[in-house]
Parts: sequence; C-alpha cells; structure tokens
Amino acid sequence: MVEREEILPKYWYNVIPDLPKPLPPPRDPPEAEFSRIDLLRKIMPKEVLRQQFTVERFIKIPEDVRNAYLNIGRPTPLLRAKRLEEMLGTPAKIYFKFEGATPTGSHKINTALPQAYFAKEEGVNHVVTETGAGQWGTAVALSARMFDMNATVFMVRVSYEQKPQRRTIMQLYGADVYASPTNLTEFGRKILAENKDHPGSLGIAMSEAIEFALKNEIKYLVGSVLDVAILHQSVIGLEAIRQLDELGEDPDVLIGCVGGGSNFGGFAFPFYGAKKGKKFIAVGSYEIPKFSKGDYVYDFPDTAGLLPQVKMITLGKDYVPPPIYAGGLRYHGAAPSLSLLIKEKVVEWREYSEPEIFEAAKLFMRAQGIVPAPESAHAIKAVIDEALEAKRANEKRVIVFNLSGHGLLDLPNYESMMKRSLK
Amino acid sequence: MRKMLVSYMTLGYPNVEGYLEFIDGAISQGSDVLEVGIKPKFAKYDGPVIRKSYKAVNLSEGETWELLKETRKRSNVPAIVLTYLEDWLGKLDEFLSKLREVGVNGVLFPDLIIDFTDEYEKYVKAIRDHGLKAVIFTSPSVPDTMIHDLSKNSDLFLYYGVRPTTGVPIPVSVDSLITRVRTLVENKLVVGFGLSDVEDMRKALRAGADGIAIGTAYIEEVEKRGVKSAISLVKYFRGVLDEF
Repeated sequence: MVEREEILPKYWYNVIPDLPKPLPPPRDPPEAEFSRIDLLRKIMPKEVLRQQFTVERFIKIPEDVRNAYLNIGRPTPLLRAKRLEEMLGTPAKIYFKFEGATPTGSHKINTALPQAYFAKEEGVNHVVTETGAGQWGTAVALSARMFDMNATVFMVRVSYEQKPQRRTIMQLYGADVYASPTNLTEFGRKILAENKDHPGSLGIAMSEAIEFALKNEIKYLVGSVLDVAILHQSVIGLEAIRQLDELGEDPDVLIGCVGGGSNFGGFAFPFYGAKKGKKFIAVGSYEIPKFSKGDYVYDFPDTAGLLPQVKMITLGKDYVPPPIYAGGLRYHGAAPSLSLLIKEKVVEWREYSEPEIFEAAKLFMRAQGIVPAPESAHAIKAVIDEALEAKRANEKRVIVFNLSGHGLLDLPNYESMMKRSLK
Repeated sequence: MRKMLVSYMTLGYPNVEGYLEFIDGAISQGSDVLEVGIKPKFAKYDGPVIRKSYKAVNLSEGETWELLKETRKRSNVPAIVLTYLEDWLGKLDEFLSKLREVGVNGVLFPDLIIDFTDEYEKYVKAIRDHGLKAVIFTSPSVPDTMIHDLSKNSDLFLYYGVRPTTGVPIPVSVDSLITRVRTLVENKLVVGFGLSDVEDMRKALRAGADGIAIGTAYIEEVEKRGVKSAISLVKYFRGVLDEF
C-alpha cells in the first residue's frame, strides 16, 4: 500500500506556463490614486506574491507546509461513488475527491496554510483576513494556530449574527473575530457613522482587513481568485492523479464548481497540465450567471476596488448577487487563468439552478451518506448529467469530481431549500 | 559584446527643455537605444512613477511630433516610440507614416501581445510596411512556444518585462526567469520593467540578458534631484553593464 506521505505531492503545479495564450497581467485601474499592485507588495507575504507572479511550472512545497498538510489529513480520500452509479444505472465510473474531510470542512485550508507559513517565515506573527459566511476565515484561523500565530478575522456582520457556528469555530481556534463594519478601522468607522446598523459586505470587510494589515504591519491572506490560491490548491488535483494511477484509472471527465475558481483550478488544472482527461467542466450557479452573462474584461476582484484589476469573466464588481443557498458561488468573477481557459474553450461550463442542485444533493446524500456543501452540489448535478449521458451512449466513462466541502454547517440552507421545494 | 542600455524617457518630461537635456545626456553617457513614451489615454501596464510622469506632460499633437523630430535630430542612436496600440487603432497608417516621417526608427506597443494576441502578426507587418522596426514586448505570462516565435519576429531585440508593472518591486526570481527565457529566445534579449535595482540587473545579465531597459529610475531621479542627476544615473548604469 502506498503511504500517505507518498501521495501528498512535494511540488505545487502552476498552470500559467501551460496556458494556450498569454495571461493578461494584473493592472492598476485608470486614474488610480495609488498603485494597487504596490499595495499587494505591502500586505501580502513576500513569497506568496513571488508565487503569484511566477512562471515556474512546479514550486516546491516547504517541508513544514507538507507536515501541516499531513496534520489536517491530507491526502484527502478519493472515493468511488458506487451506490450513486448503481442508482443512476450508468456504466460510467464516478470518483470524487473529498475535500470536506479536512478539519475546516473545505478545500480553503490548502492555501491558508502556506500563506500563513510564508508570513511567519517573514517574521510576522499575526495575519488578518475577511470572511463572509466563514469558511475562508475558519481556514485562516486554524492555519494561524498551526503555526502559532495570531489571526484577526473581519466577518461580515450579517453572517456574524446569523451564522454563529463558523464564528464559534474560529474563536475556538483562537482567532479574534469582529463583526464588520467595526470601530477598529477608519473605513469601518466611516461606514458606521453613516449607518450604525450597517449589515456589512465582503467589500467592506476586505477594506477593513487591508487597512488593519497596513496599520499593524502584519500580513493579509487572500482566499481565492488570485492565481496563487489556485497554485496552492493544486495539491487536490496532484493527489487525485496519483490516487487514480494507483487504481489504474484514466479519467475522461473532470468536474468542479466555481466560486472564484480555486477549488476547480486546484482540482482540474493538474490534470490539464498532465494531459489527462478529455473534458473539463466548470459549474456555476444559474442564479449568479457569470458564465452565461458575464463579460471577459478587466475588473476588480474585490467590491471595494482595492486590489489590482485582473482580466476575468465577470458580472462586474458592483453586481449584487441574490442571497442564494450557495454563498460560495455568489462571487462576481472567475480567476484569470480559469477565465482564459473557458474563453479558449479548453474548459466547458454549466449553470444549474437551486431546484436542480437540491435534487442532485439529495440523491448524493442518499447514495453516499455525505452531506455536500450546496456549492459542491452543483458539481454533483453535472456529474449526474454526465453519468446519464454515458448511460444513453452506453459508454464506460470515468468521471471524477471535486467535492470541495461538506454541508454540515449549511443545514439551515438545506432546511430553507426543503421549505421552498415544498411550495 | 557590449551590453545594450535602453534608456526610456516620457516625451516632454519634466518639460521640453529638461527632456531634451536628458536625451542629450542619455546619449552622451552611453545609451544604445532611446525609448520615448508618448502619453497614452490609459497607461494600462505602466507603474505609478511612469503614470505620474504622463500626468506632468501636456503636449499638443503638433508639439508631440515636433519634439520627436527634435529627439531624432540629436543623434544617430536608434529611437523607438513606446505607445499603446489601443490609442491608434482607427488611424494606425497615419500614425506610423508620421513616425517614419519624423525619423523615428521603431515602435513598441506594450499591449500588442496581451490585448491583440490573435492579430499581432498583422500589426507587426503594418509597422514594417511603414519602414519601421517592430520591437515586441513580452512578459513571463507569455507561453514558451509563443516567446520563441515572437523572439524571431521582433526587430532590434526582444523586450522582456519581468514584472507585471514598471517601478513596483514585486518579488520575482529574476535570474531563474531569464535563464529560462534565454533558451527560448533567438534574438537579442533586453530585460526591463522594474529592473532599477542594480542587483536585479546584474542577475539578469549574468543569466544571459543582452541588455537592460531603464525608465522608472530616471523619472524618479528627475523628480527628486533633477535632470542632471538622472543623467549621472545613466553613466552609473552604463558602468554596471560594462562590468560584463
């Protein structure tokens, strides 16, 4: 039997040198009063920034980060959804990489760990970030704890009040969690002066986190969209390739859902780089139609417009998403490398609506017993469609997807989906 | 072989007299190529220092051409114009003819490969058809095979920018970037975009660069200590290049 340590890769994979066209660089907005690219230099750990702009195909994972990955249970399991196959009556084989098996319940920790580590290496012992529903903040909180650092998390006020479980987890890990807007920053005070009951937004929380990082000379950790997050997430795909090799399987279809693109890219890009797989499917939400309605243009990754503009498929930074059941998919854009691969038709896309993914999630739960995050249920819906197509064509396809997180903290979302589906 | 010093200055910065004084100094202190920036509508890929220099310039179109002509008269050192293709799309023929007419040797569009990837050959041909050199700008995010092809298609040298923007010292591994790209480039390789740090310059040269392009450092120096001081910087950089 192969040891866990052997399956866990020693290098991250960077898709940039393998893209079919040049990746448009991040840039400062027209008439910028200050350089956003320079801002990155001030707030991000130096090595993280170097990795953001590197063109090396493989980047060594520091030994301490590999140990941290082992500590959180990497490699995560690659499981076969045998009962789902049977229930669908498909000749296809379905495998899934279960990122929900990490302590924080999702893939997010794969990049939080190295980012925290590189900050620590630089002699900084405190990191800061923002979080909406809390998955990213949880990953940062645990990562900081694993490297004996302090973490400050600005959590969007409405989530802080309505979704207290994530907040509790972060606090148990030892992070300072604040309901944003806060009185801790100038930006927060300004917002509160206008409306003391402001519910907050991700853009505000991000602005507060960046200001906090600058003022306290600590490092800011970035959750998705920037290509460096996808680079770190490549452990998912690299492990999956190795695990499939052990099983003697050659994948045909690779599927993942897309919020900002880090779990999809982290899972699928290593397959693309290794020239494995015939079809790549990125799945978004019908209610947040960035693939069908978005433009491929330069836009801000953040609502506040503090980060450099990147060229991506986007609904516009000011797009106000409906409050859907899958918070992680509400993001207005997709990472530049993924956007380019979609434009070049290397990666296909699908968009599914709430009732469709709810049915898919139920089927999956009843077949495999795992409650998927509503985000991941989008990938499951695409898997089911592919498996049924294989059935019609009577083809033995091998379908592999990334189950990016479990849905045990999304039970209120499932409850509301149940209520809506009864109407 | 002598390493090339490509000296950039924004046309008309800090003012016409100061600009011409710098150009004279840049030539006399050993620049091999002059790179002159025409103020664009939107400096998409320039850093904050160069962007600020654009703001300080207010030349009419007539003055722009006059000053380019004057630049040309100052010496026989090749002068290339840096400007965004986007700004000239509707009147490219006229623009290129005019460049030729005032004696400019070539043109570099920093957005050519990024924003006009599929049509770049058409534009390179247009530049050459007007008797101008087409200097191609590339960066680390250009795929390997494309860099190889572009290097053969670029006149004078291939321009390789190591950072995503000028004048912002984003940490990059200059030496490994150049070592890698050197094997792909069948042409002279000039490295720029954020190379004002002398150690970075030495790393790039050791790794096989044939020359260095400098801009931000001069503009910062003009801003802080004046044109004369910027000219002495040209001399200093020449000295660094001559170590190799």
